[in-house]
Amino acid sequence: MADTVPNTAPMREVQIEALVVMRVIKHSTSAFPTPATGCLLGMDMAASSGTQLQITNCFPFPAAAPDQPSTQQDTGYYQQPTDAATLAAGAPRAKSNVNYQNEMIKYLREVNVDAQSVGWYISTSMGNFVNLNFIENQFFYQKAADEKTVALVFDVSRSSAGSLSLKAYRLSPSFMASYREGKFNTENLQKSNLRYQDILVEIPIQIHNSHLLTSFLHDLPQAPPKQTALDFPSSLADLSHDPNVSSNPLAPNLDHLDLSIDPFMEKTCDLLLDSIEAHQTEQNNAQYYQRSLAREQAKITAWQAKRKQENQLRQQQKQPLLDENEWQKLFKLPQEPSKLESLLIGRQVEQYARQVDGFSAVVSGKMFGARGNLLPGEAQ
Amino acid sequence: MADPKSHLHLARPLAPAAISTSAPATAPLSCTILPQALFSILDHASRRPADQERVIGTLLGTRSEDGTEVEVRNCYAVPHTETAEQVEVDMDYQKAMLGLHLRANPKEVLVGWYATSSELNTFSALIQNFYSQQGEGTFPHPAVHLTVNTVAGQDIDANTYISAPIGVTAERAADSCLFIPVPHEIKYGEAEKSGLEVIAGAREREDRSLLMQTDVETLEHAIEQVLEMLERVSNYVSNVLDEEAEPSSALGQFLMNTLSLAPKVDAEDIERDFNNHIQDVLLVSYLANTIRTQIDLSNRLATAALTMGTGNEGASTDGQQKQDGQQRRGGDRSDRGGRGGRSDRGGRGPGATFADMS
Repeated sequence: MADTVPNTAPMREVQIEALVVMRVIKHSTSAFPTPATGCLLGMDMAASSGTQLQITNCFPFPAAAPDQPSTQQDTGYYQQPTDAATLAAGAPRAKSNVNYQNEMIKYLREVNVDAQSVGWYISTSMGNFVNLNFIENQFFYQKAADEKTVALVFDVSRSSAGSLSLKAYRLSPSFMASYREGKFNTENLQKSNLRYQDILVEIPIQIHNSHLLTSFLHDLPQAPPKQTALDFPSSLADLSHDPNVSSNPLAPNLDHLDLSIDPFMEKTCDLLLDSIEAHQTEQNNAQYYQRSLAREQAKITAWQAKRKQENQLRQQQKQPLLDENEWQKLFKLPQEPSKLESLLIGRQVEQYARQVDGFSAVVSGKMFGARGNLLPGEAQ
Repeated sequence: MADPKSHLHLARPLAPAAISTSAPATAPLSCTILPQALFSILDHASRRPADQERVIGTLLGTRSEDGTEVEVRNCYAVPHTETAEQVEVDMDYQKAMLGLHLRANPKEVLVGWYATSSELNTFSALIQNFYSQQGEGTFPHPAVHLTVNTVAGQDIDANTYISAPIGVTAERAADSCLFIPVPHEIKYGEAEKSGLEVIAGAREREDRSLLMQTDVETLEHAIEQVLEMLERVSNYVSNVLDEEAEPSSALGQFLMNTLSLAPKVDAEDIERDFNNHIQDVLLVSYLANTIRTQIDLSNRLATAALTMGTGNEGASTDGQQKQDGQQRRGGDRSDRGGRGGRSDRGGRGPGATFADMS
């Protein structure tokens, strides 16, 4: 996915300060399983090879948005159930939070923080983030003329399995154009040739440390022991308590070597099934539409035939003809349901499938390793 | 990661009777600092105005019920100016910012303040008394003062203090106090581990930055590290055997304990479990991708149908229905696969699906 970036987006990469990473993790894990959202601050650096977006600070949005009406009025046709999760997910574009953000940025500017909003972050579980709320939030940020904003997605569940799962996304220009028009019917989709693969563009992320932080990290495991060589421990208990051999807190993280994968697989499968169900519902809607369309069209044809007959009769009787196009007033063709939801489901399923791919790639490697260890004879 | 330095716990000096009623508690407490607070302080230190030696800010966090443990979870910068004669802290700013932070994190409370220099002076005492005062301060709990030394060329070390009132008269007590060092530790949670690892990975690099790695790359990295550690241990053991290194019975015992953790299982059992598990995993992966293809196909059919004119509408609907049926089946199978069902039965699923499709 990353290799599509250079030709679709002028943004080359996102550089994230360590501070932002830690703040996002803290906010996300404390709010888990409710999605946590917040605002990203930073600046964009133009370079010849494309823009680099630097995210240097962030702050969380208040979780409980008190103004439900404003979250709902934005969504219009889509009525949301007002539980905590949806409220939190809708937070970035809620009116009260826009005020909150402006106020916070105003204050942060006084202490020399980069006071430019460059996007927002959201926490998720097992990649379950592609939905209407996400799209609307990012659209809200990305609709300005010369914006440089990203949506940062932090996966709490996957990060607990070992490696940090942090992704930056933008809406693709073609999707932005379609979304602005707001019509996701068959005709428009054929015209714009938009597929679900084109909705989101992933942007590579770089983690960056400041000079001070680098020197702090080198200091952190504590000063090297005064003696050149350590004394040998006298007993086992000594080994676990000696401050000189305390484990290095930063690396290595041996969680990666954990063999257990079933909970993750199971959760992903459940989510996948949910997606299929949602897809089924969309499919039913589409079928219902097509059936009623066909019915209406049959009625219209019948009416037109009847009118034609009548007109022939009138012609013979030298009476004024009736309008043959009157059916447009009498019959109303059903509205085509929006295809946006099915596009998003497609994207979400793709997300899950890739996730499963990643899991199985890692776990099969580990499994073969474990087998080689337990059956040394056959490892060769 | 407890601070190895020992701390001297002075007995609390007897405060003058005049202010003893308003003195905050000075019982020793232990302080836990989360890395993001420290990172934030360091970020603030590097953004300080050029003419200012140190910058200060407010610490937020949680306090245990009896007040003996404080966890510093967050912090924010507060602008202040300091000259040789006077110090000025922007109180309005501090109040407004506190309000904003409390809206987003209602559970966190004001616990103290930080400064980016390890120096303690009269101004520190003034600010400390401001933070520990009644009303807007931390009273009746003591305010924690965290100093992080950010002077170039010196080690970055953090110290925490609480204060006890000192001074002969009530007026003098306002701008003087006794800082009592309290022990602190820097702690991180399970979830922060993954983040810290990446951050630590960037510290060895010249440009201080690191591209995010995929899962497989991280795994490779971890395995390399384990191999390196094994290498070191086996070097040591062989050196001991060659009588080149000094043997240690404690280390030997530790290694024995570790080695005895390896499970003793029958080769056949391993083979069977291994095959079952890996088949399940691969099957789920295969099914997930099949579903992805199906959904893709379905979406394409849904948009492609109308170009062929109205005559084909019925046919395309049929196609969608058929496909839905298959998705249902595929979905059921993947469910079974995911729960560790019999993989050979599930294995036929996708094959059949493909036959139907063509």
